[in-house]
Amino acid sequence: MRAKTLVPVVLALAVIALGAAPASAQKVVKIGDLGSKVGVFEGYGKYQTMAIQMAVEELNAKGGVLGHKIEIISEDDETKPAPAVRKAEKLILQDDVKLLIGAVSSGSTLAVMDVTKKHKVIHWNSVSCAEFMRTTKFHKYYFSNQPDSRMQATGLAKYIVDKMGKKVYIFYTDYAMGQSDGRQFKTALEKLGGDVVGVAGAPLDTKDFSPWFGAINQANPDVLFVAFAGTDSLRLMTQLHSFGMTRKYKLAGIDCFLLQQDLPAIAEPMEGFVQLAHFSPYNQDKNMQAFNARFKKRFGTDANIMAGAYDAVLFWAAAAEKVGSFDADRIAEAQEGMCLDNTHIGRQCIRKEDHQVVMDMHLYQVKGGKNLPIATIAGKDSIGEPMVGKDPVEGFTWEIKKKN
Amino acid sequence: MSNRTLAGAAVALAALAAVPALPFMSKYYLLLAFDALLFGAIAMSLDLLIGYTGLVSFGHAAFFGLGAYATAVCLERKIVSLWICLAAAVVVVGLYALLVSYFATARRGIYFALLTLIFAEVVYTFFRYTQTFGGSDGIQGVPAAELAPGVALDTPLKNYYLVLVFLALAWLTCRTLVGSHFGRVLVAIRENEDRARFLGYNVTRYKMGVCLVSALLTGVAGALYPGRSGFATPDLMLWTVSGEFIIMVMIGGLGTLVGPVIGGVFFVVLQEKVSSYVDWYFIVIGLVLVLIVLFMPKGLLGFRRVQGFAQWRSGQ
Repeated sequence: MRAKTLVPVVLALAVIALGAAPASAQKVVKIGDLGSKVGVFEGYGKYQTMAIQMAVEELNAKGGVLGHKIEIISEDDETKPAPAVRKAEKLILQDDVKLLIGAVSSGSTLAVMDVTKKHKVIHWNSVSCAEFMRTTKFHKYYFSNQPDSRMQATGLAKYIVDKMGKKVYIFYTDYAMGQSDGRQFKTALEKLGGDVVGVAGAPLDTKDFSPWFGAINQANPDVLFVAFAGTDSLRLMTQLHSFGMTRKYKLAGIDCFLLQQDLPAIAEPMEGFVQLAHFSPYNQDKNMQAFNARFKKRFGTDANIMAGAYDAVLFWAAAAEKVGSFDADRIAEAQEGMCLDNTHIGRQCIRKEDHQVVMDMHLYQVKGGKNLPIATIAGKDSIGEPMVGKDPVEGFTWEIKKKN
Repeated sequence: MSNRTLAGAAVALAALAAVPALPFMSKYYLLLAFDALLFGAIAMSLDLLIGYTGLVSFGHAAFFGLGAYATAVCLERKIVSLWICLAAAVVVVGLYALLVSYFATARRGIYFALLTLIFAEVVYTFFRYTQTFGGSDGIQGVPAAELAPGVALDTPLKNYYLVLVFLALAWLTCRTLVGSHFGRVLVAIRENEDRARFLGYNVTRYKMGVCLVSALLTGVAGALYPGRSGFATPDLMLWTVSGEFIIMVMIGGLGTLVGPVIGGVFFVVLQEKVSSYVDWYFIVIGLVLVLIVLFMPKGLLGFRRVQGFAQWRSGQ
């Protein structure tokens, strides 16, 4: 290797130094916003950023946290674990964030949990719903205000069996989130006397779902339960509708199946769709209405389930004020069991054992492109027992039980 | 290898060894430097195929991913010895590379590229759908490997020096190979495969040989990755990753060995920095690549030979 070839190598490494400018003299505390900013889950990532932004603006207007102005650093994780880990490391080790919110995809969030555990940073999840986060992957610094698969299954499965039909086909997106939803809903439905007549998984970002439609039609279910999200859901519903399957079967899905903003565009395929979620701008709950009015005033659009990221910032800020420090260990301890009255749905408390926020849930049905509430399920009834370190569906099998 | 080359390499190695002492080198930058050197080493090993033999592999991500999975599986099962992880990677990648190279080297040009791509997609799909290896989420949360019992490679600094040693050994291997009779035959194959065959060389065997060396170096690089990242996922084997490796080689300069290292470093740093500011960062990277291909056909290493627009238009 000649000396002149060394120059570009050293120059390239020196580029690494860009952005390593000394911190401003102004007292600032940084928080990290990690999520999908493009691709299949783009909408969730963008609304997560907006919810965080709203919380930060409100807190900064009141003087910030511990006299520090809060600054948001947003990063795109490309909906993949490898970039998510790299960006989480950047946020923690380079930007020195004291709170990390994200990611959007469960696969990415699971990978990021190892990073926040290793570097001891408060980590809030406000949308990923794989079940392992508050069980086998749980760690001291991890908190969640997203209803996970178990909470959703507990709340929705009974409604499906009682009101929609006993024969259910489970169609899920084949990665951490969808698999988790599939496992939990199959378990819950069978426990409640439902008959799971078929299960199938389609890869994330599938463009054409029609190869799976034959099996669904052959199983002839009463209810088609779908565990997809983002643009996958949009494509799936459009294709199901064009095959006449939205009229043939009753449809139910997970809370993040589609954001409220997506519904008007596919109002017809979504008509009658049932899901369980913690928020809808069409819920007349006064706390939701008050939050939605503020959100709409700020961003010119309705809020959606990503509003949980707003609460994450509030919980962290309240805990920091309580202990008078940004120390992650002390904040984690302060957050355990903490209750706040001013969240996007009113009073909420964090369960000490598994750091899950106990949230009242609502069953919604889509009518005319709007998510309208049809029932409420108390948070204590859907959250289930703490299972830290345990497999919540131990002994689970995808095998379809034949009924005579 | 001339004394001057060795002296230059020693100076470069010393400079890179001193990088952690730079005042701005935080843990994050050490991790970034790890990635930069690791992918630089992979690009260099791919250069053996593209730059020296004229074979464009669109499947190198599979060698990288298989190496990563070999280590991740060992670490997940509490087999933490780095040497056992590396041995597992060499065996797994070696067997796969034998299979791929046996079939792919029987063809040339676009057919070689397509065969490597198809094999890689099969491997990707296998890991993507096999729950034993974690399916689409892969194997996550693996512990650090150990250099010796009790000596865990658990800090960014230790991992940086590990990858630096690997880069040095990989360069030495590649440099020795291309400087040997074997390397000269590879260049002959690149320039005129039929003539090389008429001269009596078993071209297929030479191509298989260089494929194996390139694949094993990439596989060993992959084996080092979970120690730094804590996971191995199918995404590491996606065809787009193979495409990135090719871009690194082209940015750095084909057939130069050191050029692709620079290309790898440049690509990783550019990707990391630009993606923090622009969502569609691949447009920026694509633009940089277009400019380099058009005006710096020798890559970054040939930066002294920047062409003018008129020269480019005239095809000189």
